[in-house]
Amino acid sequence: MIYDVSHVTTYHYAARVAFARCLLRLAPRAMPWQRVLSHELSLSPAPAETREGDDFFGNRQRAVLIAAPHDTLSIRATSRVEVGERPALRFGGPAWEQVARHALASRDLSGLSPAHFLFASRFAPLLDEAAAYARADFSPGRPVLEAALDLTRRVHADFAYDPAATDVSTPLRLVFAQRAGVCQDFAHAMIAGLRGIGVPCLYVSGYLRTTPPEGQKRLAGADASHAWVAVWCGEEAGWVELDPTNDRPAGPDHVVLAVGRDYADVAPVAGVVLASAPQRLTVAVDVTPVEPLEAGPVAAQQSNDLRTSNQNRKSFTG
Amino acid sequence: MPPRPAEPALRDDVAALLGGYRALPGVRDELVDEHGRPRPHWATALEALARMGREEVGRAFALADRHQRDTGVYYRVYDAGESRERAWPLSHLPLVIPQAEWREVEAGLKQRAALLDRVLADAYGPAGLVRDGALPAAALAASPDFLRPMVRVTGRGAGRLQVYAADLGRGADGRWWVLGDRAQAPSGMGYALENRIALSRALPDLYAAMNVRRLAPFFQAWRGALAAQAGRESSRIGLLTPGPLNETYFEHAYLSRYLGFLLVEGGDLTVRDDAVYVRTIGGLKKVDVLVRRLDAEFADPVELDPDSRIGAPGLAQAVRAGSVVLANPLGAGLLESRALLAFLPALARRLLGEDLKLPNVATWWCGQEAARDAARARLEEFAVAPAYSRAEGWPFGTMPVRVAALDAASRARLDDWLERRAVEVVAQEPIGVSTMPVWRDGRLRPRPFTLRAFVVATPDGWEVLPGGFCRLSDDDDPRSLSMQLGGRSADVWIAADEPVEPATLLPTPDRVAITRVIGYLPSRAAENLFWLGRYMERAEATLRAVRCLAGLAIEHGEAAGPARAALARAMELLAAWGAAAPEAAPERGAAARVIGAALSGADRPGSVLRLASEARRAASVIRDRLSPDAVRALADLSALFERRDANPPGPGEALETADQGLRILAALSGLVQENMNRLSGWRFLEIGRRIERGILTARFVRRFAEPDAPSSCLDALLEICDSQITYRARYLMGALRAPLVDLVMLDDGNPRSVAFQVGRLADHVGALAELPTHAGPFPPRDIVADLASRLRGWDAAEIDAAAIVSVENRLMELSNEIGACFFTQADAPSDDDSVEDGG
Repeated sequence: MIYDVSHVTTYHYAARVAFARCLLRLAPRAMPWQRVLSHELSLSPAPAETREGDDFFGNRQRAVLIAAPHDTLSIRATSRVEVGERPALRFGGPAWEQVARHALASRDLSGLSPAHFLFASRFAPLLDEAAAYARADFSPGRPVLEAALDLTRRVHADFAYDPAATDVSTPLRLVFAQRAGVCQDFAHAMIAGLRGIGVPCLYVSGYLRTTPPEGQKRLAGADASHAWVAVWCGEEAGWVELDPTNDRPAGPDHVVLAVGRDYADVAPVAGVVLASAPQRLTVAVDVTPVEPLEAGPVAAQQSNDLRTSNQNRKSFTG
Repeated sequence: MPPRPAEPALRDDVAALLGGYRALPGVRDELVDEHGRPRPHWATALEALARMGREEVGRAFALADRHQRDTGVYYRVYDAGESRERAWPLSHLPLVIPQAEWREVEAGLKQRAALLDRVLADAYGPAGLVRDGALPAAALAASPDFLRPMVRVTGRGAGRLQVYAADLGRGADGRWWVLGDRAQAPSGMGYALENRIALSRALPDLYAAMNVRRLAPFFQAWRGALAAQAGRESSRIGLLTPGPLNETYFEHAYLSRYLGFLLVEGGDLTVRDDAVYVRTIGGLKKVDVLVRRLDAEFADPVELDPDSRIGAPGLAQAVRAGSVVLANPLGAGLLESRALLAFLPALARRLLGEDLKLPNVATWWCGQEAARDAARARLEEFAVAPAYSRAEGWPFGTMPVRVAALDAASRARLDDWLERRAVEVVAQEPIGVSTMPVWRDGRLRPRPFTLRAFVVATPDGWEVLPGGFCRLSDDDDPRSLSMQLGGRSADVWIAADEPVEPATLLPTPDRVAITRVIGYLPSRAAENLFWLGRYMERAEATLRAVRCLAGLAIEHGEAAGPARAALARAMELLAAWGAAAPEAAPERGAAARVIGAALSGADRPGSVLRLASEARRAASVIRDRLSPDAVRALADLSALFERRDANPPGPGEALETADQGLRILAALSGLVQENMNRLSGWRFLEIGRRIERGILTARFVRRFAEPDAPSSCLDALLEICDSQITYRARYLMGALRAPLVDLVMLDDGNPRSVAFQVGRLADHVGALAELPTHAGPFPPRDIVADLASRLRGWDAAEIDAAAIVSVENRLMELSNEIGACFFTQADAPSDDDSVEDGG
C-alpha cells in the first residue's frame, strides 16, 4: 500500500515571536516493511538554520532555528510511503520471564536494543498499579506474545476513548485512575504495565489510514497522527507492534513515523519559543492511499470505529 | 614479660592538649593510634598548638571563622521550602596526610580517572564493553544520566572526562576506599581553596612549618588545559552555573573570579550556526570552553529536559558540531552510577591490565540475577542504596542505609524493590570510615569524615589536587555520615618532608596578559550592576529623607511650629515612594510610624530594608564581579534594618540607624570607586546611580522647593541633598529658593546636583557609544545631550514643576534606552572577537 501523508502544524501566537528553535520528527522512518519514497518539509517563515540527522533511536530529525519575527509558524510535511505486511505473528514464542531476563542481560546498546525500553521514562513512570494491571495477563511461563495480545485487548476494553478526558500533560496516574484517554494514553498505559513487569516495550508514533464507511467519501483531515506500542518478544521475533487503541497488531494501515521510549522521544514538533504569550495550535493530517484500496484481510476488518488521536492537543514541550 | 620498646614520652603540654583524646572503639583515627599515641605526622601540629595554648588557638580559629563569614562563603540550605544562606562552617584542624602516603592515593586517583574516562568514551562511542559482555547494556541504559542524544557525538572533548572527584574514606584496615565517583559537575574545589586561605591565615607559622603542598599549581594547570582546548589563540572560557539559587553558587562565583572565567547562566548564552555565544553589552561573543556546573539534563531544553528553563537551547547541537568543549561533557554523570562500582574492578583489569590501586566499596548491582541472589543471601551485613541518581519512590534516601537497621515494614519494602525493581538497587559492604580531630569547646574530639579528592585532565596527563575537601559528621557514629545536615568541612594538608615551592593563590600572570578593551561584559551582569547602582542610590536617598524627618521631629516636638510644612512633605514623599503608608496629619506619632516603615517595613517595597535586599539580590548574581568587602557591606546594610521588635524606633534611634546606614553606603561607594575596575561593569553601576540620583534629586526639588515654599522646606532640601556646606559657604544667608534650586539642579560643580549627574552620564554613555555594536544611532547619547543643553539653558528662578518633571521623564527614558541597547538586545555575532576585559 502506498500513501501520501500530509501533516501540517500551525502555531498562532498572540504576540510576535522573534526566535524559535525546534526539533522536528516528521519524516517517516524506514522499516523492513516500510519504504519512504519521498519526503518534503517546508516551514514558514523559512528557518535561518537547518540541521538534519538521525536520533539515537534511528528516527530522522531536523533541528531548525527561526530567527525572523513571526506570529504564525507553519510546518508542512509531505511524504509518500509504501507500507507492506509486517512479519506474521509467531505464537508460542518464549515465555515472558525469559524475554525479561534476556533483555536485562542484553549485550546491545544500540538504539533498538530492548535494554533501553525496560525503565521509567518521562511519560511512562513505573506505577505499581500499571504493573499490577498488566500482571493479570502474565501468568508464569506464558508466551510473551500471547500475554501481550491479551493485555492489548484488555486495555482496549477497560479504557474509554475520550479526547476530553486528557491532554498532553495529563499524568499517567490520572489516566489509570479514570481509565480513559486517547491513543497516546493507551500506549503509555501499556508501556508502563509491561515495563513494570520487566518486559521491554517501546512507543511508536505514526499514522493510521481511516477507511471511510462504504459509499462515503473519505473526509480530508479526518485522519490524525496515532500512537501504538511495540513489545519485544525475544531475539527471534524482535519487536511486535500492537495497537491498544484499536485492539489489533499493526498492519499495512499503520504508517510508522518514529519510535522511542515514550511520547517525549518522538514528539513531532518539540522545541522552545522565546515568547510568553499564549499560543494556539492546529494540526491537520491526511493519509491518502495512492493505489486503489485492496480488500485485504486486515483492511477488511477495519471499520470506522478505528480510533485515532486528536493531535491538536500536542503543544510545544518547551 | 618482654620489655616494651621505649616510647618517647609526650611533652606535658601536648599530653594536656590531647587530654585523653581516644579513638572510638573499633574505629581508626587519624590523630592517634590504637594505643592512643599521636601518629608521627601530627607531632609538629600538636606541638605548635600546645605551645600556642588554648586561648591563642581559640583566637586563631575565630580569625578563620571571621574570614569565612566576611568572604561570604556559604552554601544554600533548603528547609521548609524556603532557601536561605548559611555560613558554612570550617572545622579548624586540617586533615594531615604525609606526602608519601598521598602519592599512593594520587596514583590510585589517576588510575581511576583514566579508567572512568575509558568507560565514558566507550559508553558514548563504540560500546565495545557492552558487546563483549563486560558491562550489561541495561546497567547503562537504566541510568537517567545516560543521555542518548550525546551518543556517537564526536566533537572536540565529547565523551572525554575532564574533571573528576572521588569521595574517599579510610577503612579500619587503614586503606583509602573510594565510596563514590563524581563526574556530573563535581563541587568542592572552590571550597577547598577557600578553606585553605582561611586556615593558612589563621595558622601561618604552622602552615609554613609543615611544608604543606600548595594548591595553586593545580588550578593553573587546569586553567591551562582548558585554554588549550579552545582551539584558538584568545580563548573565552565560561563557567556555566544554574544561578544564584543553586546551593553551591558561591563556589561558582568564587572559582570564576579566581580562574578568570566568565560566570554565565544558560540565559546568557545563545547558539547560532552551531556555535555558543555569550550575550554581552558589545554583542554576541563566542565561547570556546564551558566548565559545566549545571547538570547536563538541564543544559539544553531542545534535546535534553524540555522543562528546563536554565539551559541554553541548541547547546547539544553546538557540542555535536565540535564548536564548544564542555568540562565535563554532557552525559558524564553516567559515571556516578553506583551500579558501575560493581564492574570497575574487573574493568580495570580488562582495560588497563591492572587491579584498582584504590579499591572501591564492594558493590552488587541487583540488576544481575546472580548478584541479586548473592546480595540477598547476606543482606543483613550489607547496606543498600539507589543504583542511579534517581529512583522514583525509593524509600530510603540517596545515601546507603544498613539493612540491619531497617524495621520490619521497611525491610518488606526493600524486599519488594529487590523483587520488582532490583535494577535500581545496589547492595554494598558498609565501610566504617575513620575519624579525625575537631576542636570543640577548647578540646579535641574525634569525628568521622570523608575526603573529596579532585582530578583534572591536562595535556600532560591527569593532575590531582594535593589536598581536597574534607567533610565531617557532627555525629560521632562513623556509619551515619550526613553531609548536607550539620556537617563541617576541613582543609586537607599534604605534608611534605622537604620545603615546598612557594606559590601564590592570587591571580596568575597568564590572566593579566589580556587586552583592556571595553565591551565584553555579559548583558545580565551589566543589568544587575545597573540595578545595584539604582537600589544603592535609592536606599541612600530614602535614608536622607528619614534622617531629615527624624531631625525635624526631634527639633520641633509636637510639630505645630514652622517645621510643620517640611515635616508633612517629608512624610508625603516617603509615602509616595512606597516607603510608608500615607498619614493624615504630621503629628509626632505619625512621623514615628513613617520612619519605622521607611527603615524596616518588610511590607513596604520602598523601605530601606527592601531596597537593601533588592540590592543584595542584584549583587548575588554578579558576585564574581564584586569584592568580598562590598558583598559584606551589603549584608551589613540588610542586617542593620532587620528589626527584631515591633515598636517603631524613636526619632533619636532612627537618626542614629539612618546615619549608620548612610555610613555603610558611603563605604560601599568608596569600595566601588576605589576597587572596581574602571571598565564597563563599573560604568553600568555608575549609570544606574547617576540616573537614580538625578531623578530623586529632581523629585526632592519639586516637593520642597515650590515657588512659595517656606524656609523650613528649603532647609530640609539642603539637608536631604547634603548641600548645606556648599550653600552656606556661598550664600551668607538663610535658604532662598532661586540660589538653592540653582545649587541642586543646575550647578554642575555640586556632586549632588542634577546637572552633575547628567555630566557624569554624558561621560559614561559616551564611552559605551564606542562599542562596535553601537556605531549607528544611539538614543542614550541623544537623550543625555538634550538634558545637558536644557539644564544649561535654564535660569533657576524660572524652573517650575513642569520643567522638573520633564527632566525626570527624560532620565527614565534614558534608563529604558540603556536597557534596550544593552540588556535585552538580540543581535548577530560580532566579528570583533578580541578577548574580554572581564567587565
